[in-house]
Amino acid sequence: MNEKDRLEILKDILFTEDREDIDKIADRIELLEQAYNSREKFASRVDPIVEEQLDKFTKSIPHTLGPTITATLKKEIQNHKDEVVDALYPVLGKMVKKYVAQEIKVLSEKIDNQLSFISAWKRKLRSFFGGSKEKELLLDDIGGEKIEQVMLIERGSGLLKASFSKTETIDEEMISGMLTAIKTFVEDAFNQKNQELELIEYELYNIHIQSFVNYYVAVVISGAYSLKAKDKVQDIIFDFYHNFMEMNLDLIYTSRHLEQPVDTISSKLIQKKLAEYFGNAKI
Amino acid sequence: MQKSKKIVILGHFGVGKTSLIQRFVKDSFSDKYKVTIGVHITKKIVEVNENDSVSLIIWDLEGTDEVQMIRQAYLLGTHGVVFVFDVSRPSTFQNLNSDLKIVAEKTPDVPLIIVGNKIDLVIQDELQSLLKDNNIEANYLTSAKTGDAVNEMFTHLATLLNDLT
Ligand SMILES: Nc1nc2c(ncn2[C@@H]2O[C@H](COP(=O)(O)OP(=O)(O)OP(=O)(O)O)[C@@H](O)[C@H]2O)c(=O)[nH]1
Ligand SMILES: [Mg+2]
Repeated sequence: MNEKDRLEILKDILFTEDREDIDKIADRIELLEQAYNSREKFASRVDPIVEEQLDKFTKSIPHTLGPTITATLKKEIQNHKDEVVDALYPVLGKMVKKYVAQEIKVLSEKIDNQLSFISAWKRKLRSFFGGSKEKELLLDDIGGEKIEQVMLIERGSGLLKASFSKTETIDEEMISGMLTAIKTFVEDAFNQKNQELELIEYELYNIHIQSFVNYYVAVVISGAYSLKAKDKVQDIIFDFYHNFMEMNLDLIYTSRHLEQPVDTISSKLIQKKLAEYFGNAKI
Repeated sequence: MQKSKKIVILGHFGVGKTSLIQRFVKDSFSDKYKVTIGVHITKKIVEVNENDSVSLIIWDLEGTDEVQMIRQAYLLGTHGVVFVFDVSRPSTFQNLNSDLKIVAEKTPDVPLIIVGNKIDLVIQDELQSLLKDNNIEANYLTSAKTGDAVNEMFTHLATLLNDLT
């Protein structure tokens, strides 16, 4: 075998299958080519029909498939609430967040104001009762409770009827208005129909409040306010009020005799009485 | 002689109740809106004539869009009422007459003053037709910002209360 023969044999061994494959591929390409061409021809005729059908089909979905789809969706949504919410969240999220943020802003503003409302009261009370006196009190024996101030205040309107004070520095008219507002607010807010606000504790002061029908009495006490002292203060208030009411009755009685309209007892007189009862009281 | 009188200031949210009081008592104004919660009390002594002065204890109530929601307890024993609306916000005066009726029922037998505030925000001519169209008779048209008619309004009320007793 010469070199050329060997090469031929080798070629045969190596490429026989190849050649067959190449022939097959060529056949297939030809087939495809034919198919493609005929399909193009076919399509040009068929496509419009398909399109029309598809269009009809799409339009009929709401009637035909619609209910089914809706029912399926409903069921899917029901079964996968969390996922649905999750999916919707990014879309709704922004809206919801904006709304919630706004609401929270309003709410926190309200709370801020509520707090500032209370701290404003505190600040005011402090400026009325406080100042350097507070420090003096701290240095003094704290145990000794003392009556600092007494106010007879008209219920409702909160107007000051009369007052007695050892230190004439504060605006008692404002104080009685504020005490009444606090009292009203607390009693109203907590709906304490049968319960009255009795004591306002304020740093070194206790404000004892005793309500009657037309008036209430507020006694400002410095130092620790013991139960024993509270008992005493209450007694003094009752004694004073009893006397005050008697004066009122006397007045009504006298004015009836005089056939004159009932005048109120002068603040000066009540003031004198307040000093009498509370001024030197040991509690 | 000096008498003490309690007055309450009522009206919807943000109509300028607090600002009016601030203007009257401190002669100042702030653009910042600080919502009133509960009630705020201030006092001002008003000279009504050479001999008399009235100590006005002013209760500045939190605004309510529903007049019915006003805490009754705050109104107890009041001697006068100021009802404020905002001329620049129709929602605060659209139901003014029915609002006033409710207020009058809640505070019988006391003077009620009707105040249209923030007139600096509207054009004078338009304001008049606005009031007419809504059938509103305001006693005072004020601006807490410029101070227009604020003192007059409070002093008038103080004089009224002084004369009543
Ligand atoms: N331009 C103008 N703004 C005013 C006037 N009066 C009040 N304002 C503004 O209106 C806003 C509300 O004023 P307030 O006085 O707090 O209103 P209010 O009636 O006390 O509000 P509430 O306490 O929430 O009921 C603030 O931003 C004020 O600066 C006014 O006469 N003119
Ligand atoms: Mg206010």
